[in-house]
Amino acid sequence: MGFLTRWIRERLPIDGDQLREWTNEPVPNHLKRWWFCLGGTPAYLFAVQIATGILLAFYYEPAPATAYESVRYITETATYGWYLRSLHKWAATMMIAAVILHQMRVYFTGAYRKPREINWMVGMCLLICTLLTGFTGYSLVYEQLSYWGATVGANITDTVPIIGGFMKRMLLAGDGYNERTLSRFFILHGAVLPATMILLLLIHITILRLQGVSELKFANERGDRPQHFSFFPDHFYTEVTIGLVLMILLSALATVLPATMGPKADPLSTPEVIKPEWFFYVTFRWLKLFSGTVAVLSTGLIVFTMFLWPFIDGWIRRKTRASEASVWIGIVAVITIIGMTVWEAIVAH
Amino acid sequence: MSNVEEGVNEAEHRIENGALSGDRRSFFASASSLAMLGGLAGSYGTLAVMAGRFLYPAGGSPMRWMFLTETGRMKPGDSFKYTAPSGHTIAIACVGKTGKAEDFLALSSVCPHLGCQVYWEAQNNRFFCPCHNGTFDASGRATSGPPAAAGQSLLRYRLKVEGGLLFIEVSVDRAVASAEPSLSGGQDSCPGVRDPEGAC
Ligand code: HEM
Ligand code: FES
Repeated sequence: MGFLTRWIRERLPIDGDQLREWTNEPVPNHLKRWWFCLGGTPAYLFAVQIATGILLAFYYEPAPATAYESVRYITETATYGWYLRSLHKWAATMMIAAVILHQMRVYFTGAYRKPREINWMVGMCLLICTLLTGFTGYSLVYEQLSYWGATVGANITDTVPIIGGFMKRMLLAGDGYNERTLSRFFILHGAVLPATMILLLLIHITILRLQGVSELKFANERGDRPQHFSFFPDHFYTEVTIGLVLMILLSALATVLPATMGPKADPLSTPEVIKPEWFFYVTFRWLKLFSGTVAVLSTGLIVFTMFLWPFIDGWIRRKTRASEASVWIGIVAVITIIGMTVWEAIVAH
Repeated sequence: MSNVEEGVNEAEHRIENGALSGDRRSFFASASSLAMLGGLAGSYGTLAVMAGRFLYPAGGSPMRWMFLTETGRMKPGDSFKYTAPSGHTIAIACVGKTGKAEDFLALSSVCPHLGCQVYWEAQNNRFFCPCHNGTFDASGRATSGPPAAAGQSLLRYRLKVEGGLLFIEVSVDRAVASAEPSLSGGQDSCPGVRDPEGAC
């Protein structure tokens, strides 16, 4: 043993063999297919968000009088500011897309079924946190969309029975958008939600490690080949490759389509055509179709159903023997979501 | 732990066991655990409550009655624009001739659905809300979209007449214009026909 190794070993009593055992979790063969690595993608993008977010926070000033100008400073004056801001924006978009795709993969392969119900629910919490982080994020820029998005969002919470009024006041720091509102959104966006997500991710991955990734068999797989490969280095290399590809993609998008600035927030007039970010198109269309209370309560019910889906699915399968019902329900849901998103995207109002 | 220490500990255990009967011992043990748990829950609970109170916004936005005009100078059908301290423009219309507050109408431009600003579409003779396509007729009654589905009209600012002078209650927060004025909860102070041009 070299001097350095001994020096370290004496202070950090970690056994090399143990370390190897921990990191070398056997990974089922189907993870050689890239689409099963979609779970690692949001985690990677999350790291990008933390790094770029902390950098942006050095210049960002969360108050109505200063926010817009500080984002303009980041975009136009700070060296590489435009690039970092664009990375943050594109990684946010891709993170949300990746979380949705990852969830669809889990859904359609039935990986949420017993014994993995808890991890599905943790995943739902991660989805909600990601969407909320995206929402609070674009409220920070203090352009027209930020202001009216935040106002509409706060009033949606107001529609929730009983606790709605309290939640709205908590969110806005008052009855309406005011001087102290933006700092709340900033703290939620940059501290509370990311910290919650780190915690949830730890739980998510711990449960995953305890249970192992669900196993799938493909028709074209030969029985004589090994069923597993090592996490380290094999799967690790796959993830590194995905990380590199993502970084190139992000960098290209940030350069070709950098984040721009819309008109500054004007509390006295709502723009004639107003749209949220793409991932809220569905909700936005839904809000146009029903009265406020109906829209909010039905959305709550849908989210609640998604939350408890592993149990509902189990119940359906026990009662009806229609073991593939979930697939058909999933297909209808996906088509509805895509349909409503496209509908919202192509019309002005 | 050295052997000597271990021996001492063991001895202590034996002494304790001898001095107190098993039952009383476990009673004291659980009582002190409970007290400790209670103390922890109490103190951290207090801190949590304090944090909650700290985060809950103090007070609402200050409201004040502002002078608008002399009632005698308006006749039914007249209207004018008033700029509130928040920066919002409010149309004040006269809809009756008894000179009472009910004869005047001050419609809020805040959509009762989710709080966007409606604007007047002269060509369609209606207010339109760009957020979720809510529409309102000239008196503020919802005619289509989510506000109509929920039966929400444009809210009205509170008005009062004192000594022939008309006052309006508005927020004096200049601010980021808190979009929500204090409003007389959509209640109709002017039942029957709602026509801003004519009488109630
Ligand atoms: C969890 C992942 C995160 C997501 C999905 C996310 C998403 C977003 C989005 C969509 C925007 C608006 C982008 C724009 O139009 O410019 C934004 C802005 C911002 N974010 Fe994040 N973010 C995340 C994490 C963080 C973290 C950890 C921090 C810092 C502690 C942070 C700090 C900021 C700042 C300062 C802005 C405003 C400046 C700007 O818009 O350029 N974000 N974020
Ligand atoms: S905010 Fe006006 S229709 Fe929704």
